[in-house]
Amino acid sequence: MAELTQNEKRLLATLEKEKKADASHFAGLLVATPEAVVQWAYLLQDNGLATVERNVAKEFTYTDEGKVYLQKGLPETQLLQDIEPGTTLADLQKHEAFRIGFGQLRKKGLVKVEGTAIVKVTGASTEVYEQALKNPSANDTATKEIVKRGLLQEAETVRYIIAITPEGLRFAQKGLDLRGETGTLTREQIISGEWKDLNLRKYDVIKLPKKAYPGKVHPYQRIIAEMREILLEMGFEELYGGIVQQAFWNFDALFQPQDHPAREMQDTFYLRETLPLPEGYEKVKAMHESGGETSSTGWGGTWKEEKAEQCVLRTHTTSVSIQHLAKNPVPPVKAFCIGRVYRRETIDTTHLAEFEQLEGIVMDEGVTFGNLLGILREFYHRMGFTGVRFKPSYYPYTEPSLDAEVYVDGIGWIEMGGAGVFREEVTAPLGINFPVLAWGLGVSRIAMLRLDLKDLRYLHRSDVAFLRETPSLRKTKGGI
Amino acid sequence: MAVISLPYKYLERLTRTDRKTILDKVALIGSDVERVEEDHADVEFFPDRPDLFSPEGVARAMRGFLEIETGLPSYPVKPSGISFTVDPKLADIRPVLGAAVIRGVEFDDESIQSIMSLQESLHWAVGRGRSKVAIGIHDLDMVSPPFRYIASPRTRAFVPLDYTEPMTMNEILVKHPKGRDYAKIVNDFPLFPLIVDNEDNVLSFPPIINGERTRVTIDTKNILLDTTGTDKRAVAVAVNIICTAMAEAGATIESVGISGVQTPTLAPVERTVSVLECNRLLGVDLTVSSMVSLLQKMRFGAEPAGADRLKVQVPCYRADIMHDWDLFEDVAIAYGYDKIQDLPPKTYTVGKPHPVQVHAAIAREVFCGLGYLEVMPFTLTNEDVLYTKMQRTEHPGVLRVMHPISIDNTVVRTDLLPLLLEFLTMNRHRELPQRLFTVGDVVDSCHTHLQAAGVSTHRDADFSEAYASADAVLHELSIEYSVKESADPAFIDGRRADILVEGKKAGIFGEIHPAVLNAFDLEQSVAAFEIDLRCVLGSAGMQDIS
Repeated sequence: MAELTQNEKRLLATLEKEKKADASHFAGLLVATPEAVVQWAYLLQDNGLATVERNVAKEFTYTDEGKVYLQKGLPETQLLQDIEPGTTLADLQKHEAFRIGFGQLRKKGLVKVEGTAIVKVTGASTEVYEQALKNPSANDTATKEIVKRGLLQEAETVRYIIAITPEGLRFAQKGLDLRGETGTLTREQIISGEWKDLNLRKYDVIKLPKKAYPGKVHPYQRIIAEMREILLEMGFEELYGGIVQQAFWNFDALFQPQDHPAREMQDTFYLRETLPLPEGYEKVKAMHESGGETSSTGWGGTWKEEKAEQCVLRTHTTSVSIQHLAKNPVPPVKAFCIGRVYRRETIDTTHLAEFEQLEGIVMDEGVTFGNLLGILREFYHRMGFTGVRFKPSYYPYTEPSLDAEVYVDGIGWIEMGGAGVFREEVTAPLGINFPVLAWGLGVSRIAMLRLDLKDLRYLHRSDVAFLRETPSLRKTKGGI
Repeated sequence: MAVISLPYKYLERLTRTDRKTILDKVALIGSDVERVEEDHADVEFFPDRPDLFSPEGVARAMRGFLEIETGLPSYPVKPSGISFTVDPKLADIRPVLGAAVIRGVEFDDESIQSIMSLQESLHWAVGRGRSKVAIGIHDLDMVSPPFRYIASPRTRAFVPLDYTEPMTMNEILVKHPKGRDYAKIVNDFPLFPLIVDNEDNVLSFPPIINGERTRVTIDTKNILLDTTGTDKRAVAVAVNIICTAMAEAGATIESVGISGVQTPTLAPVERTVSVLECNRLLGVDLTVSSMVSLLQKMRFGAEPAGADRLKVQVPCYRADIMHDWDLFEDVAIAYGYDKIQDLPPKTYTVGKPHPVQVHAAIAREVFCGLGYLEVMPFTLTNEDVLYTKMQRTEHPGVLRVMHPISIDNTVVRTDLLPLLLEFLTMNRHRELPQRLFTVGDVVDSCHTHLQAAGVSTHRDADFSEAYASADAVLHELSIEYSVKESADPAFIDGRRADILVEGKKAGIFGEIHPAVLNAFDLEQSVAAFEIDLRCVLGSAGMQDIS
C-alpha cells in the first residue's frame, strides 16, 4: 500500500468518526474544497480504506413562465375551467390564456369543436401536468413535456458519498500521524534543527517526472565528434579549410581532366568569382597535357588556365588536403578534415546538395596500398564495424582505388567510403615525392543508419522534439 | 556510371563457363552487380573501363580473371581497300576521323541491342555526350566506297534515321529528337560535318544522326564504323573498343585508309615497368614471374625483361592505362585485395586538433551549459531569409551560386541568426521555452570562417537574456569585448548592441524586431546573438586554406 498523504490521513480520521457522508460535508469539516476531498477519497479507495459512490441526481428549477403557472395553473387548466356548455370559440378568445391554452387542449385532445361551440370531452383533465409542474420527477413523461415547454429547467448534480471500509476503520484505529506536513525545507528549518520534528511530505516516486530538456549538441555533431576523436587518437592532425575553392585545387591539382563530367555546371556549384592561379601551376598544366616528367601520358589536349581559375563550392574536402600536402611536402603527414561539401544534386530523401565528408591522408616514405587497407580497417573497427572488406573501385585521382564495405546486422554489406593512393600525376607537380594514401567517406550515411532516419534533410531541418528525445549516448551495436 | 546488361546464354558462351562462376567473381574486377534477373544480370562498371561496357568485353576480362584464357588477346587486321578523304575545312569543326570495316557479323535482336548500348555508353564515358567522340555504325553494303568526310553547307538535305522524307541539316537540328538533343555541339559552325559515299549518298551527319539508308538490321553482314571527334586519342579508343568487341563476337576487322594512313591497327602499346616499384606501391612481395602471371590474368601481354623489369603489352582497348601505377592496380586486382596484408603504417605520429575546431567545441559546451540545443542548418540558403526577412541590407561578401537547384538555395550563408529564426518557425508547435544554437561556417567573399549564434524564445525572452548569454559565451572563450548601441534593423531600437573586439564589430545581441518576428511568422519574443569566432585570441590567419 502506498504511503498515505497528510490529507488522506485527515480524511480517514474524520471518516472514522462520521463513517459515511457526502463529500461536501467532509469539505466543511476539513476546510477544503469538495473536489479536493473527493480526490483524497479516491486515493483512499485505491488502498481499500474507503469507498466513493458517485450519485447523479436531477434537479428542477422553474423558469419565470413556470413560476407564473405554478400560481395560476397552466394555461390549458385555466381555459378548461372556463368551458361550460354553450361556450363558443369567440368567448374563449377573450381569455388571456387562450393562445397557448387552446393549442394545448386541442393537442391533448381534451376539447372538440361542434359548430361554433367548444365542448369538453368526457373526463377531460390537466391534473397530470399540474402535478408534474408542482412535483417534477426525472423519469416522468409529463415532467419531460413541461421541461420541453420551457417551464422547468433540468440540472444534474453529482454527489459523492464517501464511506469508510472495515479495513479503513482498522487502519484508523491503529492511530494516524496527523502532524502538519512540510514540503520544501527552508533554510531556517535546516540550520535550527527544526527539521528533526518535521513530518516531511513523501512523494509518490512511481509517478513520471516532469520533463526537463537539457541543452545538448546535435546527435549528428556527436557522430562527427566521435570520428574526429578516433582520428586524433590514431595520430592524425586536423585540417580546416574553406568552402569556396578554386577549380584548380578542387579538380586540376587532382588530375581531374577539364572535360570531366563532374566538372560540368550540372554537377558542381560554380561561383562568378575567380582567383589567380598559384605559383608553379604550369607543372599541373604540363601533367594534364603530356604527363610531365612521369611515366604518364597525361590527358592530352590543351589545359586552359581560365577553367582552373573559376571558384566552386568544394565538391570534396580533398581540395583542402591537397593544399595542405603542397604546403607540407616533408613526411610524415597524417591529416584529416571533416567538412561540408557540395554537389549539385536534386534534393530528395537520400540526396542533399550539401553534406559532411570525412577525409584522411597519410604521406610518408614507404607507405603502401596495404597500409591504406590497414588504416581503414582500424578506423572502421573503432567506429564499431567488425566486418570490413575492400573491393576495386575507380576515382580519378587515386590508383589503385578501392571501396570499403562494412557489415551491418540486418542489412548486410554496405559501401562506406572510397580510398586509394594519390596518382603520381597528382603528387609529382606539387613536389610531393612520397606516396599519399587517401580515403573519404560520407558522414551522413552513418548518421542516417545510426539515427534511423528516413530522410537526410532531417539532419539539417530538425524537429526540436526529435533533438530533445534523441539520447546523447545511443546504444550502438556493430557500428550502427 | 554505366550499367551493362549481360544476357546469361551469350555471356556463358563467350566466357566458356557458367553464370554463377562469372557473377560470383565479377565484382572483384571492379563492378557492382545491380540486378540478377531470370535471363540476364545488370552490372555497373566504372567509367575508366569502357572496354567492359559490352558482354564481349566482360567475357574477355572474365576469361582472364578466371584463368580460362590469359595473356594478350590478338586481333588480326587486314586492309579492306576502302578509303576516306577528310576535308581540310573540318579542321576547326570536327577534325578527327576514325573508321573500320567489320565483316561477317551475325546479328540477332540481342546482339544489335548490345552493340547499340555499347555505342551509347561510349558516347557517355569517352565521348562526353558526343562532343568529344561520336560513333556511327552503317550497313556497308548499302553504300559504295570510297567515302568522303566533308564540311557541308547546312542546307544540304538527306533522310535521317527513323524518317522517310529528306530534311536539311538545319531542319534536323530543330525537328529530329537527336537533332534537338545535340544541336549545341555544332550550332555555332557555318558548315556541318557530313560523311558521303562515292555517289554522294549521306551516311552520317556526325555527331547528330546517321542517314536512314545505312540503317543496321538483322540482315546486315558487313559494317562500316565511323567515329568522329575532337580528340585523336579518344576517337581511337572508341574505334578499338568497338572493333575488338565485334571481333570477340566472331567478326573480322579490316582497316581503312584515312588520308593515306591505314587504321585501325588494334596493336598493343608497350610499357616497361619495375617489379620493385609495384611491390613498394602495393605492399606486397611479388617475384618477376608471379607478376607476369598476374598481368596475364588481366589480359596483358607480359614477359620478364631483366632482374626487376617487365615488358608489358597493353591491349589497344585499355584506354585507362596512362601510367605504370595503372598496371599495378591491375596486379593488385589479380592478386586480390583480400590477400594484401593490411597493417597500419609504423611511423609514430601525434594527433592534433585544429584550433578553430577547439574553439567551436568550447562554444558548443558553453551553449549546452546555458540550456541551448544545437541545430545544424544548411549553408545554402536565399536572400529572402538572410536579408529581406531580417530587414537587413545585403552582406557585401555574399556569394551567389551560378546555377542554383532551386530558388531556396541561391546563396551561401553569411550569417547564422536568420537560419535559427527559420528553425523557430519550423518548431512553432513545440513546447517553449526553446533555446537553439548553431556553430558553423559562413562565408565572407571567398573566405570561410566560423560563427556562433543562439536564439531563445519564450514569454519573457528579452534583451537582458541575450546580453547575459552572449556575455557567457564571450567570457568562456576569453574574448575581451566592449559594447555599443547597434543600428542593426533586425533588432528593436534601444534593445540591441554591437559586440566590439579591439574596436571592430565582432557580433550582435538583442531582442529581435517584431516586424522580423512577423516576417518569420513567430509569435513570441526572441532574444538573439551572434558572434564571429575569428575574434578568439590566436585564431586570426588560420581560418581556412583557400
